Amino acid sequence: MTTEGSEKSGEEGVGTSSGSGGGGVRFELEKETELRFEVEAGEKVQLELLSGLAEVFGSELNRNKKYTFGPGSKIAVFTWQGCSVSLTGKTEVAYVSKDTPMLLYLNTHAALEQMRQQAERDNERGPRVMVVGPTDVGKSTVCRLLLSYAVRLGRRPTLVELDVGQSAVSVPGTVSALCIERPADVEEGFSVQAPLVFHFGSTTPGTNIKLYNKLTSSLAEVFSQRCEVNRKASVGGCIINTCGWVKGSGYQALVHCASAFEVDVVLVLDQERLYNELKRDLPHFVKVVLLPKSGGVVERSKDCRREARDEKIREYFYGFRGVSFYPHAFDVRFSDVRIYKIGAPSIPDSCLPLGMSQDDTQLKLVPVTPGRDLTHHVLSVSCMEDEAEAGAGGTSGPRRGVLESPVCGFIVVTAVDTQAQVMTVLSPAPRPLPRHTLLIMDIRFIDLK
Amino acid sequence: MAESNTSVSCSSDNFYSELLSPSELFAARSRSHKIPARGQKEFLPDGSARQRERLQQSLEEHWSLISEERVERLGALVKGEWIPSKNVVVLKSPAGKFWQTMGFSEHGKQLLLPEEALYLMECGSVQVFLHDLPLSIQEGYEMFLSKDTVNLQQYQVRHAAERRECRGALPLRLVPHKAAVSSLKVFSHLKRLGYVVSRFDRSTVPSHYERQLNLPPERDGHGRQLKRKRSRSPSSQLPDGQGGVAGESLEMRGGETKSQRANPEDGAAGLSEPEAERMVEDVPVPSGVPERRWWVEGGADLPQSPTRPRHRGWVWETITLPDLGAHRCQPALAAPDPSLLPGRLSVGVCAMEPWLRRLNLRPERLSRRERERERSRYRRDVNDDREVRHCRSWAEYHELRRRRRNRHGRRNRPEHLWEGKVTPLLQPGQHTTAGDVLDKIGVVGASRLLDGAAGLEDSEGWKISFDVFQPDTVAEFKKSSPGKPYSRLCVCSFEGPVPDLRVLKQLAFQSGDVPVTFAVVDHGDISFYCFKDFQLPTDTSH
Repeated sequence: MTTEGSEKSGEEGVGTSSGSGGGGVRFELEKETELRFEVEAGEKVQLELLSGLAEVFGSELNRNKKYTFGPGSKIAVFTWQGCSVSLTGKTEVAYVSKDTPMLLYLNTHAALEQMRQQAERDNERGPRVMVVGPTDVGKSTVCRLLLSYAVRLGRRPTLVELDVGQSAVSVPGTVSALCIERPADVEEGFSVQAPLVFHFGSTTPGTNIKLYNKLTSSLAEVFSQRCEVNRKASVGGCIINTCGWVKGSGYQALVHCASAFEVDVVLVLDQERLYNELKRDLPHFVKVVLLPKSGGVVERSKDCRREARDEKIREYFYGFRGVSFYPHAFDVRFSDVRIYKIGAPSIPDSCLPLGMSQDDTQLKLVPVTPGRDLTHHVLSVSCMEDEAEAGAGGTSGPRRGVLESPVCGFIVVTAVDTQAQVMTVLSPAPRPLPRHTLLIMDIRFIDLK
Repeated sequence: MAESNTSVSCSSDNFYSELLSPSELFAARSRSHKIPARGQKEFLPDGSARQRERLQQSLEEHWSLISEERVERLGALVKGEWIPSKNVVVLKSPAGKFWQTMGFSEHGKQLLLPEEALYLMECGSVQVFLHDLPLSIQEGYEMFLSKDTVNLQQYQVRHAAERRECRGALPLRLVPHKAAVSSLKVFSHLKRLGYVVSRFDRSTVPSHYERQLNLPPERDGHGRQLKRKRSRSPSSQLPDGQGGVAGESLEMRGGETKSQRANPEDGAAGLSEPEAERMVEDVPVPSGVPERRWWVEGGADLPQSPTRPRHRGWVWETITLPDLGAHRCQPALAAPDPSLLPGRLSVGVCAMEPWLRRLNLRPERLSRRERERERSRYRRDVNDDREVRHCRSWAEYHELRRRRRNRHGRRNRPEHLWEGKVTPLLQPGQHTTAGDVLDKIGVVGASRLLDGAAGLEDSEGWKISFDVFQPDTVAEFKKSSPGKPYSRLCVCSFEGPVPDLRVLKQLAFQSGDVPVTFAVVDHGDISFYCFKDFQLPTDTSH
């Protein structure tokens, strides 16, 4: 049961409502139960609410509206009051479960709402919640659930996405923050409007933990600034989704994140060890809470994750289900852009100048010479002003600004012509590029479909 | 008709002797109207005949200039009467053009301040009588200038180029009051250059509070009058130096009847008494109240007013987060209040029991290296620390951590450097940018002229004497609403002490946003000095 799953696009041209024409399979749900189903590969399933009230991860279903879910989607339809739904299409599994932690999650939401009320009354800031847990425990889903509930009560919470592997907001390899103004769309998830995105460049924080922590701090700073000027955002608080890496440096990153965002509540999903460690390492005024995972959560394989990532990048360029957007392809001269990679290979301490510490290399910008190996890489277009960059010349001082500047978009290199010194890029907007500082990601995207 | 400098009596009996023949009159009219140039200044007497001769010539020129008969048309002279008890000149005939920038009305009478009368006498615009006898300019100097009114230095600065035909003042045979002399000089000097000069009135300067509020300046005469009234209210007894001093200087001004100066020019058309009374009664109250509150509450209250929401910690007793870790003994969660739930859901109690059994207690598989690292880094619970337990918010916790880090850094530093009397200016690792370091080693801190000036008491002998308005504003100048002066003048002399920082601060504070200029008088030569705030350049690239 993951948010990402629901965003999988359907393949165009697959037979419409295959097989069971007309009526589908009808499910009667008692109150506080949920229907879990997975869509078979290459198929799609239509869901329709016939009577009663039901919700998918916190977003209410409209009655008699057909919702389409693409292949591989894993959906849970929950009802508080009881309902009947029908499913049309081939499902891998479909069963009704009484065993859901939804009531616990709802109680969690109620507590957070109490905190928001208290914040509103006392002119304080709202709850800042960090959701942590190992991989595949439904962190993103819990975030989506809590955000949807909050926004349904008129709050304006902020989703802080620190999961660089499976971002719900932007392409993978980024950390981002998104102000939530309406509940998530049942099929598409939260509408992404004007998110704040920072370039990380890799799908696991471990490749450059220093940069990851720095970006966390940058996001926290921006969020705090926003809270200072926007009372509503301040009361709404934020919900932070984290990576599933909870050991070693990953755990350190969690503690750092809690400290940077000054979180009030940490929701630990399904791992008592992590719960006890956080209780030990966070000061007492941070409420650390242990919650169970839902029985519907399924483990995702490496392939599944990679596919989800690919899908997310495709969605960035082509829109949901690959039909809404039409990206542009054009040539960019090498001389027009500056491409950097963040983080230099580490040097042995003995080679360093006296007094210089190793961590400087992890945050260093290394110019990349454009070449054939650039093909298929995703590049972030940094928001940093070109003039500032150009004025910097060779000094490293102002260039550090590149790390802290958000990203204004992404392009994919589809072809490189080293003879003509030109690369062809896939871009969401027509030429020219808005800025000329590009940051390279480890992530590749092959534009096949 | 003519009036000589030295004529004491001008009764109608010997009137004809004062009449000039046409040829005399013509000679007087066609006289050169130039003030002789003073030429190069000689610093030391060198005993040479050439120098002596030149000095003699210069002196004679001055003498002849001063002793020259002043020829004016009797009809052009405005008559006034000197009232010694009040230190003012009451005009007996309609005022001339000078009324635009000088004089004031009271009880339907047009009055001139002594320095103004003296200046106008020198210009040949006013003839002042005492006991129905005209005063000579020399007598004017002797009688008008006293310590209480205006001194000569001040006066000299005030007079201006509008008076080219008038020929200097009397030699100072009788020096009235030393300070008075220099003030008068300053007054007449500026006046001659065309500036509009008026006495500095403290109550027209917006208070520190008003300046902070950024109120539009009160321009009209009624406003000034009201303000004066208000500052007599109890607020003047408040501990702040400004209030007290303002009250004091008020009394003085009351004595001079100057407080009424701001009344409408033609006194008859001025406010009727009751109306003025009412305005005085009504208006100042609302504006006076916040002022008083401000001072009474003092600065201590200010920083507390929160500009950004400060986090004080949650009341966890009223907030129940379901926690499987801690609620081991709590069997069920009470149903949450429907108002907290989306769509006004109402749900029942939530049993915790079944979930407890399903907790993930599986130990993480850790490599040996990981385990060792964990053990070394997290041996202790942060909350075992008493100081951490005292922290109530992240802000306090961060502060504690920062303090500890600093302390830690101190422990590791080389002792021989830090034990002696002289220690390094910088702690290692404390400052990372060149800007920080420059800040730290900046021995002389930046200071502004107005820093700490609010509490300073008046210093003996230093006061602002005049408001000066630029000559090009004369056309639009209104005495009732003079607007913001171009500068304010403090008159001092080269023989006296140089103003120290305390005086500068106090005068600058008194003057508000108008610069204070020091007019330094040296036996007739006036030099103007002012002190400017400037900022040392800082390195902004870091």
